[in-house]
Amino acid sequence: MATTTKHAIGNWDTFHNNGPFPTKVLYKTSLEGKGNMPSLIDRYNDAATEIQRLLKDALDKQEGFRAYGSAWSMNHVAHQKDNMHFNAEMNIKKAILDDEMHTASTFKRENLFFVQCGNVIKEIHKFVFDHGKSLKATGASNGQTIAGCISTGVHGSALGVGAVQDWVVGLNLIIGPNPEDIVYLERHTEPALNEVFAGRIKARVIRNDGLFNAALVGLGSFGFIHGAVIETEDRFLLKRYVKKINKDLAVELSRTLDFANSGFTVPGETDVNGKGNTAFHYKVFINPYVNDPEYVVEAIYKKPYVAEYPDPLPRIKTAIYRDLIILFTKIAEKYKNSIPKLIKVLEKSVLPAVDLEATGTLAEIFWDAPYQGPAYAIAVGVDHTNSGKALELLTRLAKDEGPIPGIYAMRFVKQSRATLAFTQFPITCMLEIDGLIWKAKKNKIISMEQFCKRTIEVLQANNIPFTIHWGKTADWSFPGLVQYMYGDKATTWKEYRSALLGEKGAKLFSNKFLEDTGLNEFIVNTSPELVQSIA
Amino acid sequence: MTIRICKRKNLSVLLLFSFIILFSLSSCYSVRIVNKDGTPEPDPLNNSGNFYKGKKVHVIDTTISLKLHEGDFYLIEKCPSGGFYSVEYRVTFGGVLLSAITFGKKRKVKIKYVCLKEQ
Repeated sequence: MATTTKHAIGNWDTFHNNGPFPTKVLYKTSLEGKGNMPSLIDRYNDAATEIQRLLKDALDKQEGFRAYGSAWSMNHVAHQKDNMHFNAEMNIKKAILDDEMHTASTFKRENLFFVQCGNVIKEIHKFVFDHGKSLKATGASNGQTIAGCISTGVHGSALGVGAVQDWVVGLNLIIGPNPEDIVYLERHTEPALNEVFAGRIKARVIRNDGLFNAALVGLGSFGFIHGAVIETEDRFLLKRYVKKINKDLAVELSRTLDFANSGFTVPGETDVNGKGNTAFHYKVFINPYVNDPEYVVEAIYKKPYVAEYPDPLPRIKTAIYRDLIILFTKIAEKYKNSIPKLIKVLEKSVLPAVDLEATGTLAEIFWDAPYQGPAYAIAVGVDHTNSGKALELLTRLAKDEGPIPGIYAMRFVKQSRATLAFTQFPITCMLEIDGLIWKAKKNKIISMEQFCKRTIEVLQANNIPFTIHWGKTADWSFPGLVQYMYGDKATTWKEYRSALLGEKGAKLFSNKFLEDTGLNEFIVNTSPELVQSIA
Repeated sequence: MTIRICKRKNLSVLLLFSFIILFSLSSCYSVRIVNKDGTPEPDPLNNSGNFYKGKKVHVIDTTISLKLHEGDFYLIEKCPSGGFYSVEYRVTFGGVLLSAITFGKKRKVKIKYVCLKEQ
């Protein structure tokens, strides 16, 4: 039997200390040992039984329940005041068998894998690599669990791929304590696996594009994500370049993403006519407090896999003194005018080394995150054609109403089909501000809460359509925010959620984040067709 | 005169003490080896604000006594996954001193390790 330990923790915090948040109980479920239960599927189903027991317990007490993994979200999206469930030890993974493929599937069997919720990206990298495959794209690091990535829309800067949820083709949810509460969702237009597979995980199948797209970026509120079917591709390498280029050129390329006709080219990354190849990944770093005519940019190009290449990771990795970072934060809080100078000092530790070139797998290029301390990150998504304008507005905000201890960056992600994906523009520019958590004191430094609020107000005042990363710092209680960002899509999401979970289930998987954003609204009398398979 | 000697003594003791502290501090350091492709065993209750945050840490802090004819030893530790994610060995001035004055027969051992996550 899978075993669950119960801890009365009192408070729970995110990995980057964006809390603490009052919490009654933390559960941790461990799988049955392989020696006692050798079958992967038996252990998977055994874990499902255990989760259903915990869900029943929470329902009986009329309490909430929420799963989380690595706690990397920098707000309260992963938090639930009654019952939190740590699922990172639930990490079964398997290749798909021939008899599990849907007859109408257009996916290659060897590209599909089934992974349990608590697998972190790093272990999935290794597992699929050992099968000759690679994930398509990830975030900038590898410590998030797959369920956390999907739920909040974790992204990198893969122009042609998208975010993590965009290579998920099947979802296994546990929505309650009864046998029919284990469901397996797919798109009806892109079936992947068949009833044999569903039978093995004791799930009822619903093939419905609308439901699947709504459940994908489900904010942990669409039931307990127990497993996901992911699509991979053949192994490949990435070649990473870091350059300093004219800032107008960097911003213009952000606006057009037209690498072929840009003045920015990397020797060796051009076609036969000398025109620039389109990068796999493009990122621009901006220190808003310096008038440097150049920005640091990172361009990564996809290459065929070869076994022999120099290790892209340094043999020795150093880290900045944590106490030094805390000291810098204290100085910034007390003397706000010191912030630009402090950022300049830290710039070398934060930004990648210029003229760096490295080749490696996706897992190597986006390796372990070095910083484990308190941090905030604000990330707004805008259409890439608006990236220059949004950057100008938000850097001006930092200069005029700040300064704030943070550095800006822009990444670019292909559109997602998930209903509430913040990567909703044809190519979304994720404009990010990453930095150290600060507290406004008597020196009139703007508070983080106020800066977040002003970010929304400035973009609204300038009529720039935007979204906000679900896992990052924001004024989530800003009136009408979600409706403003997503319009009818927010209503659609709530309808599918209500139809799938029912009123009790919707309450069970709700939390304060959902209440703050208004997404907890239960919509009565939804059409039963929303949760039925479409032929 | 007596007072002056006393001050000198105090000063000397203070200097010696400071020297020992400084020497001890600079003689303490850690070496950490990390498994490049490994995933650490998680621990949601570990909120330390350092490298070990969220990881299940095992600590060995002991002194090994060797007999006259014994020159070497090894510690046998068990990771459920069968592998180590990281091992950190701490060298202290006290440990080096103890080994020196006992001709290597007493070895102070301070190790932190994290197992690989079970697959």
